[in-house]
Parts: sequence; structure tokens; C-alpha cells
Amino acid sequence: MLSELINPYYLQVATFILLNIILGVSIYITLGTGQLSLGHAGFMSIGAYTSAILTLNYNVPLVIGIIIAAVFTGFIGVLIGFPALRLQGVYLAIATLGFGEVIRVLFINWEGLTNGAIGIRGIPHLGREILSFSESLGFSPGMIGLKNNQFVSLAVFLVLLIISIGVIWFFIRQSNSRIGRAFASIKMDEEASEAMGINITYYKILAFGQGALLAGFAGALYAHLTAYISPSDFGYHRAVEILIFAIFGGSEVIWGPIFGAIFLSTMPEFLRVISEYRFMIYGALLVLMMAFRPQGLIDTNVVNWIKRPRLKKKEGKHGTGNKKDK
Amino acid sequence: MLIEQLINGLTLGSIYVVVALGYTLVFGVLNIVNMGHGEIFMFGAFMGVIVTNSLGLPLYVAFLVAIIVTGILGYFLERFALRPLRGKEGVSHLAPLISTIGVSIFLENAAHHFFGAGNQPFRTSFSELNITIGSTTVYYVQILIFVIAILLMFGLTFWLSKTKAGKALRASAENLAVASLLGVNTKRVITQTVIIASAMGGIAGILVGIAFNSVNPQMGLSFGLKGLAIIILGGLGNVRGAMAGGLILGLSETFLVAYGNSGYRDAIAFIAIIVILIVRPQGLFGTSTSKSKG
Amino acid sequence: MVLEIKKISKNFGGIQALTDVSFSIEQGEVLGLIGPNGAGKTTMFNMITAMFPPSSGEIGFLGQSLSGLKPHEITKRGICRTFQNIRLFSELTVRENVMVGNHCRLTTGVLQSVFRTKYQKQEEENVLRNSDEILEIVGLSEFGQTIAKNLSYGQQRRLEIARALASRPQLLLLDEPAAGMNEKETNDLFDLIKKIQALNITILLIEHDMPLVMRICSRIVVLNFGKKIAEGTPSSIQNNKEVIEAYLGVEEEDELA
Ligand SMILES: Nc1ncnc2c1ncn2[C@@H]1O[C@H](COP(=O)(O)OP(=O)(O)OP(=O)(O)O)[C@@H](O)[C@H]1O
Ligand SMILES: [Mg+2]
Repeated sequence: MLSELINPYYLQVATFILLNIILGVSIYITLGTGQLSLGHAGFMSIGAYTSAILTLNYNVPLVIGIIIAAVFTGFIGVLIGFPALRLQGVYLAIATLGFGEVIRVLFINWEGLTNGAIGIRGIPHLGREILSFSESLGFSPGMIGLKNNQFVSLAVFLVLLIISIGVIWFFIRQSNSRIGRAFASIKMDEEASEAMGINITYYKILAFGQGALLAGFAGALYAHLTAYISPSDFGYHRAVEILIFAIFGGSEVIWGPIFGAIFLSTMPEFLRVISEYRFMIYGALLVLMMAFRPQGLIDTNVVNWIKRPRLKKKEGKHGTGNKKDK
Repeated sequence: MLIEQLINGLTLGSIYVVVALGYTLVFGVLNIVNMGHGEIFMFGAFMGVIVTNSLGLPLYVAFLVAIIVTGILGYFLERFALRPLRGKEGVSHLAPLISTIGVSIFLENAAHHFFGAGNQPFRTSFSELNITIGSTTVYYVQILIFVIAILLMFGLTFWLSKTKAGKALRASAENLAVASLLGVNTKRVITQTVIIASAMGGIAGILVGIAFNSVNPQMGLSFGLKGLAIIILGGLGNVRGAMAGGLILGLSETFLVAYGNSGYRDAIAFIAIIVILIVRPQGLFGTSTSKSKG
Repeated sequence: MVLEIKKISKNFGGIQALTDVSFSIEQGEVLGLIGPNGAGKTTMFNMITAMFPPSSGEIGFLGQSLSGLKPHEITKRGICRTFQNIRLFSELTVRENVMVGNHCRLTTGVLQSVFRTKYQKQEEENVLRNSDEILEIVGLSEFGQTIAKNLSYGQQRRLEIARALASRPQLLLLDEPAAGMNEKETNDLFDLIKKIQALNITILLIEHDMPLVMRICSRIVVLNFGKKIAEGTPSSIQNNKEVIEAYLGVEEEDELA
């Protein structure tokens, strides 16, 4: 019964959509303080390589590897954030784009560690780790009537689902707080925020570091989902792809990039043409969005409109990311 | 050996200058970094390959075709990615950046579809011709590149300082609103600027194609990034800064390849960006400006 | 003495916006800072709030020097300002604008915010209450949930004041709060400033509306071309020859233009 319902392919697609959601949120956090980063593919690759190398070469457990990778990437993000801070939006975008390319060049050339352009194979696979872990507990997929590959993809999907919900929960709570208000005011007017007593240096670096950490985290997950990474996975195209989740979906509320990631990752599955011309469509979308709806499809008004029916139930959550009150 | 490297570096540097000037012109007038410039440049290079290799026409026709095609692309870029954002209420300063990123990714993938993903050689009838003075070999191609680059630099400087259109452009670069009050047709100046910048990109594309004997859709990004590095090095919107920055980058890359690790050649530009941004955000030749507050 | 301006000069790449200006503000007073357009009044605010560093001179606040502090640190010390060209967080609600103003008096960090500790909840409740009180003071209570950009001009000016008040300043800098207001709104503003004064907040007021300035200020400092040309009570300023000339000169030009 259960086994007929579970299609590993669909689960895999859904898993990668969840990964894209995390990436979308990571760029949304950075954009949320008015900083445009084109370095998120670079951060992603740092996370991916760190965790891959730690687990493969140093036998670090997968979970620990992912955590170290995320934290390390966040740290790099803060380092990059400091000089980037002194820069207006345009410089920051260029500097981060340059950063992404430097990282890529570094990974191509540092062959001893990264295996160069060929990439790293045989990275411990999240699904198989889960399988062998549960088998060590004396559980086998057959016990609930599933084939091994069905169990693996189901388990991976569920893990990613829980992680994504956790990430979204975290940032919704953050944006409904003092921190979120500071982010939003900085996005709207840096100088006025500063004059109102907000330490813009701290908050911009915080946002940049959080975005980097999350991208690194997603990168580490990516490495353990695909079991194979190479520098070309993390080029300019990836950076633009991450960006477009937030630009298309919207960068005012967290639901924007989530919607963007879901919609843009699902469409190619339905229409082959879209998949073939995917990046041309992305390019055209960026131009169109800026001309007609720069805030993205989902903005505060849309969220308020969706939430209208149960309007009077809650009172008093004040923040910015998610206006459920009023 | 040293002199040869110097010549190689100057050749490369002068190409970079032409790439960077395209960014500088647009930034000077519009205060916008045109992220699509690299890809327009790449289209110029492909026009060169198609005209000379596929159609077998002479090089000057290639230049003409490249200028026309990239000029048209520049027009479209301005018309669809920049003009709709201008003068609109509440448009973030990131909007033009994002929409030109859109153009860049669109053009790159369009090139994939039209021309294929791989490398295409760019051979000219005189690719191998050279003269040897003492122990130093100089290729005609290098001389050609150098001469064209110098002509473009002088032409641009002359055009900016002596012609009416150039003066209108400089007035607009000072202040668009004021220029428009003074009766400058700013809309036309802007369109003109983007077209000229793009056409210069087209010429640079051919020069790069010849110099490296290779053209591919990804070159827009790598050379575009170098162009960006140069204008940051030289100070955004600063024509002379772009020239100096281009030469510095060309020379340092060449010497790194000759005497160091060639794998990291492409990293120089970006490391330079980051160092400059930390140490001297206004660029080597820029002056710091104060923003207005209150 | 609340604020002491000591020989402040500011040069903007050739433009001498302020030259050796000195004055001081006493606890609880409303000090007027007036002068023709371009006299350097707003620049003086930018110096006090560290938006720009002064070219020379020093500013003391409650006996301590403000040199080298960043704008947000100055706000935390107890000086907050409004902007001449309104700079609200236009997409946030009125109440959220005020809550942002309260930021520097709060302490919760990321983890406390995410896990909603008891302390954080308490703090958020206080912020809400404070904001509503301040909105009450400026008369915007009923607009709490309105998006700031949808307010009328006069209301936006009052929200600027509310946002600054939320930082609990000891010294409030108002940059042309009456600009663009009609007579009734100006009268309300008069009452509001009186109310703020009653809260024991010292005020430095830039204003072109002379009747308002004369009515509300205890003392007035006059700038012209970046220099202080007079200082004194409203009546002494009204009769000061140099001040009249400075203003008449401007009016003449206005008429010619
Ligand atoms: N950021 C800046 N850069 C360059 N010049 C400036 C800057 N800010 C102010 N100025 C110049 O300093 C002088 C004083 O300006 P300021 O804004 O302080 O005048 P003001 O007294 O506030 O005038 P108004 O009544 O019109 O508001 C003006 O000549 C102005 O052009
Ligand atoms: Mg002023």
C-alpha cells in the first residue's frame, strides 16, 4: 500500500525543491538589509567542499561535517562582510561576484585538496547513512513494506522537510522581533536607521553572515544529497539562480523566496521547453520583474490579503518579515 | 624574454582598457554598472568568428558587423532593462543592477543556443605573421590590437571633449537633472552612451578573439569581471583610471603567467577588487565624494 | 548645560558650510536655530548627530565629548533628530516606525528573539506599550496600523517626531517640523512641542516659521553664511539690525528671482 504511493523520483525532486527553498531564504536574509550578494554560490561551494572533505578524508560524522561546514561558511561570510560593508550596493554586488569566482578558481587549482575541475566523488550519501544507521538499530525498510530506495528517498525528503521548516520558523521569528525591525529599517533607509540608534554595521554583518551560513549549510546538504560535487556546480549560473528565487518570488516577506524556489524549481518538471531554455527565461524574468514588479510576486499586501479571513484572531506581533497581525 | 612579456602585457592590457571603457562610459552617465556589458562583448567576438571564419569575409567587415550587432544589443538593453526603471518612484538602486544581470544571463544562454557551448577558434590571415627584432618576437596581431585600442582611447577622449554630443554626454555625467534643465536631450544622450559603450565592447570582443584565438559563451563573464575589476581599480566612471587600471591588470596577469602559477591568473582581478575595496574604495585614481544628508 | 558647541567649522570640498560656530543649550529650554536658506542649520544637526565629522571644533553633551562617536552611539547617549526632508521607513506601519525608534533602548539578541524568552516577551510588550503612548502624545493613535507613506504630510512630520521620541532622548533636534503645515497643524505642533518640553526634554529647533519660533523659543541663535551673527531672546533677535538685513537680503533676491 505505502510502497505504491512512494515514488523515489518525485521525492527527489521535492527534496531539491526544499534545498532551493533554503537557498532562497539565504539570499532573502542578505537582501533583507538591502545588500545584494552574488557570492552565494561561492558560499554554497565552501559549505559543500568543507563537509565533503571532512567526511571523506577525516572520517568526521556526516552531521558534524555539515554543522562545521555551515559555521565555517558563516565565518567566511562575516570576514567578507566587513570590507563589503563599506561599499554601496553596487560595489558589494561586484565584490561578491568576484569573491564567488575566486573561490571557484581556488577550488579548481587546489587539486591536492579538491581534486580540481574533476570534482569530488563518493561523498557519504545522506540517504544511505540514514539507512545504515537505522539498520544498525535493527530496522529494515521491508518491515514497513518499502524497498530500500523508497525508504532512502523518503527519509531524505523528511529530513530536509524538517530542516526547512526549522529554518523558516527561525527566520520568521527573527523577523518578528527587534532584529527584524532593524533589518527592515536598514533596507529602507540606512542613514535614518543609524540616526535612530541602530548599529548598522552590526546588523548588516549579521545578515550577511547569516545568509552565508545558510548558503554554506545548503551547500553541505547538496554535497551529501548528490554525493558528487565539482567547481562548475557553483558558478555564476548558480548565483543568479539563487538570486532569482528571491527576485521573482519576492524579497519583502519570507514567503516570497519560498514561493519563488518552489515555482521555479517545479516548472521545468512540467515543461521540458522550460528546462531547455531555463536560464534564458530566468534572464528575461529578472528584466521583467525589475520593470513591472520589483518587489517580487509575493509582497506584504499579498500576504495580508491571504491572511485576511482570520484577521482579528491575533494581535501584536510586530516585525516585518511576516505581518500576520492587524 | 622580459620585453616580450612586456609587449604581451601591454597588448592584453589595452584590450582590457577597451572592455573597461564600456563600463566606465555607462557608469559615468547613468551611475549604473551594466552587468550585461560582458555578454554584449562576447557577442561581438562571435560576430568576428562568424564573419571571418564561417563566411570568409575580411576582418574589417567583421568589425563593422560586430559594431552594428552589439550597438543594436546595447539599444535593446537600454530600452528594456534600463529605461523602464528610470524616473520611477521608489526604485531601489539595485534594480538596474539586477535587470542587467538578467540581460547577461539571457545573452550568455542565447549564445549557447546559437553558437554552441564550446570554444571556437578565431584565425585571421595574418595570425602567424611576426617580425623579430633581436631576440624579441612581435606578432602583427599584437600591433593591430594595440593600435586599435589606442585609436579607440584617443577617439573617445577627443569625442568626449571636443564634439557637441560628447559635451552633452559629459554634462549629463555631471548631473542628469541639471543637463536636462540646460536643454540637453538626456534620453538621447543615454541611449547614445549605451550604444557607443556596447559597440566598443563589440570591438573589444573581436580583439580578444584574435588575441586568444578562442571564443566561447563564457568569455563574457570572465572578461566582464575583469572589466569590472578595472573600473573599481581605476575609480568608477573615471576614463583615465580605466586606462591605467586596464594596463596594470594586463601586465600583472602576463607576468604571473610567465613567472608564477598560471592557474591563478583569473584570480588576480578579483583579489585586486577586494584589496582595493578595503584599502581605497574610491579606486586608485578616484577622489572620495561625500553624499548629501539631512 | 546640555549641549555645548565649541567652534565648529565644516568645509564641503570648498564650500564653507559652517565657520567657528559656538553656542550652548541649557537644560529644559527650546533653543531656536534660524537663518536664511543655506545658512548651515541642517549641517549643524549633521555635526551634532555625527552624520559627518566636523572639520574642526568639538561638541560636548552633558559634560562629555561626542568626538569620534558613531551616529547610533550618539542616539544612545540621548540625542535624536528629525529630518527636514522626511525620512520615515515608508513601507513600515506607523507603529513599527516608532518601535524602530525604540531600538537602542532594547537589548534582546537573535537567540532570545527566536526562542521568545520570557525577557524578550516582556520587552516586546513594553515596546508596544511605549509606542502607543508616544503615538498618543503626537496624536497619531488611530493610525498605528497605517503604512507610513500613506499618512498626510503633517502627520508624517509628527511621526518623525514620535520616532525620535521613542529613543528617549534628552535632547531633541527638530529640523523644520512646521514646513508644509497649515495654520491649524502649526498650532497643534506648538502644543506638541510644549508637551515634549513638559516631559523634561530639551529641544533645538530649526524653523523658518518666524511667528512659531518667536512664540516658543526661550532663546534664538541666528546663522548666516555659516557664521553665527546673533544670539539672544526672541525680542532682541527681532530688533537685531544684522539679522533683519540677513533676512531682507534674502527676500530681495527672492523678489528679483
Ligand atoms: N553633503 C553636502 N555636500 C556638499 N555641500 C553641502 C552638503 N550639505 C550641505 N552642503 C552645503 O552647505 C551649505 C549649508 O547647507 P544646509 O543644508 O546646512 O543649510 P540650511 O541652513 O539647512 O538651509 P535650509 O534652510 O535650506 O534647509 C549649503 O551651501 C549646502 O549646499
Ligand atoms: Mg536645512
